[in-house]
Amino acid sequence: MRITITDTSIALDDGAKTFQLLEKPVFPYFHHNVTKKPFISSYYETVETIWGHCQTDMELLADACHSSPYYSCYALLFHRLFPLLLSSSQVKNVIAYDPLTDCGAYRVFQKFMRFLEEDSALTALPQSPYAFTLLKEGSCHAFLYCLDALPSLPAVCDAISKVKPGGLVLLYTIRDPLPAELEELCAMGEKDSFGSCTVYAFTVDETLSAFARENGSAHVICSRAEEVLKRAGDLQNLISSMLSDTPLPGDAYFIAVLILQQTEEILLSLYDYLEDDGLPVHANVLKESVLNYYVGTSRQCDLTSYRKKLTQSSELFFAAIEREFQ
Amino acid sequence: MNKYKMCVIPASPLENVQLLKDRVIFPYVCYRTFGESLRLVTKCTGDYPYLSYLEGADLVPLPEDQPHMEAAVRYLSGHAGEIDLLFLFGARGEYMELTRTYKSLRPDGIIYLKLDTNIDWANALPLSHKPFADFLRNCDIISCETRRLQSLLYKKWQRPVEYIPNGVYYPLYPGASDVRFEEKENIILTVGRLGDIQKNSLLLLYAYALAFPQFDEPWDLVMVGSVTPEFQADCEDFCRRFPPLAPHVHLTGNIADKHTLHQYYRRAKIFALPSRAEGGSPNVFSEAAVYGCTVVTTGVDAAPDMTDNGRVGRISPDIEDFDGFARELAAVCLDPAYLARNFHDMRTYIKEFFDYERLAARLQILVELQASKRRQK
Repeated sequence: MRITITDTSIALDDGAKTFQLLEKPVFPYFHHNVTKKPFISSYYETVETIWGHCQTDMELLADACHSSPYYSCYALLFHRLFPLLLSSSQVKNVIAYDPLTDCGAYRVFQKFMRFLEEDSALTALPQSPYAFTLLKEGSCHAFLYCLDALPSLPAVCDAISKVKPGGLVLLYTIRDPLPAELEELCAMGEKDSFGSCTVYAFTVDETLSAFARENGSAHVICSRAEEVLKRAGDLQNLISSMLSDTPLPGDAYFIAVLILQQTEEILLSLYDYLEDDGLPVHANVLKESVLNYYVGTSRQCDLTSYRKKLTQSSELFFAAIEREFQ
Repeated sequence: MNKYKMCVIPASPLENVQLLKDRVIFPYVCYRTFGESLRLVTKCTGDYPYLSYLEGADLVPLPEDQPHMEAAVRYLSGHAGEIDLLFLFGARGEYMELTRTYKSLRPDGIIYLKLDTNIDWANALPLSHKPFADFLRNCDIISCETRRLQSLLYKKWQRPVEYIPNGVYYPLYPGASDVRFEEKENIILTVGRLGDIQKNSLLLLYAYALAFPQFDEPWDLVMVGSVTPEFQADCEDFCRRFPPLAPHVHLTGNIADKHTLHQYYRRAKIFALPSRAEGGSPNVFSEAAVYGCTVVTTGVDAAPDMTDNGRVGRISPDIEDFDGFARELAAVCLDPAYLARNFHDMRTYIKEFFDYERLAARLQILVELQASKRRQK
């Protein structure tokens, strides 16, 4: 795999096939470029040109990243990023979420961005569930997101929501196949592939923003919280029936345990956002009390202690749910 | 409900005494409760006379000429189809290949891992090592032995971990049903490897000395178990320094015979556990509780569970606090009404929450739910 740089083009090449990354325009005036730097110059041979910089920076990228498995991804990212950077004379704000490697690709991108507009910035985020929380909605021009670092639909949607309308979201990966939860989204993007590297490119529009809102973590958290509350309501009825000796269908205990297992799983999926990180354990302890109560009932044991534990653990659980979600 | 073909594969070859301990006895009770068959797959380490207690269980000896786990993986490769529920004991790296093999051959099979660990061990597990993380992920049901550890594991692993303590299989304690408080004597009993650093036996010895002047009637301290030479010397020194106490302190040595050992539990009113740490909930606690001993313990992980948060026993939280442990000892020794009442409370508590038959019935439902999830997929 190598980047082939000629006077007129820059391409990815693996010997068998090539991918055209950039092409030097035929005409001296390149209408997509509104920066102060000339794309190419036929007037002043000594002036630094964008094309010249592209050639130099691609050489730098090749030197820095040729041994990285993401080498082609970075080249493909540049291919997609390039028109955006040239599309306006505004300072550009680009965010990158790529905690897997640090081969220097982003330093090359940043160098190029600053050549075009001195105050442009490329900010690499740390790998953390909180990495996106400090970013304002619609605050950046492009978001470069490594799917292999965090292959989660809510996280990708959160990233999308940080990009301005008309901005660019670039998702990249060296893994195949995609996680099932990302398939629908990625089908909406334009796909560039080379070797094991794939980049999905999206321009942020109303459709994409709506999708991101529907699937972003805020929405997921709210809908999961609703699911927890719904299950808690069902459980409350079941458990009060158990404790009041109301005759119950034979599978009532299994249903209660099943609901508690589901609740526990939902709570664990929300773990990083919980105020009370003991909530999943409370769910488990309540599940245990239901099981003990059931075993006690089926073995015709004295239920006094089981009833007491079931009462205590259910009170603890429902109070904690109320504090957390209501 | 379904009946399951069960299999126990230990991480290292089974010894005879382990047949009656939690690693085998709990799977055995599960087999009695909801099993179709039970295999114990191990390289042999000698004869297994205790197998006679495990009616219906089959011991499958692995070839002698191969390392234990290698032979176990080979056995599993050939017999996975005959195993619906695989019991594992301990979060051990030895199981990584075994679980991977089983899941590849039996994606519908269920793996139950009984952790048998304490907080210190749990903190040392290599969770970022992918094969180890995969091993834990391959386990469908994981249980630990203490609530304190359960809370920690939820935070560390962010996955469900059940609380299933080390319990009691009542048929192994035929004499426990007719024990009476009136037959008990003023004995403070401890059982364990005396002098072992983990067992912290010196704390009990000196706490007893501190409590002794407060007793309004004589109490004997009976220490059962193998004795290290260092502790033997400490004990002799203790008796020289406190001559009035010497006749009341008894070191019995190791007692292999269960019947003889149970007689000590039967006679003792108090069971003392001065340990610095325990693997999970200690087996000696369950045995003492079956015979209605009131437990006085240091703040080991299982202390709140053993005492129902201090209701049926006393906790001296600091493992180095001689005065604190002495205070708790003296308090119970001076309260015969509590001891008499607690004799019943403790026995009821252990029966209700530590009876392996009830715990197995609980696990049965979890297994059943897991199996029905698999069937739906």
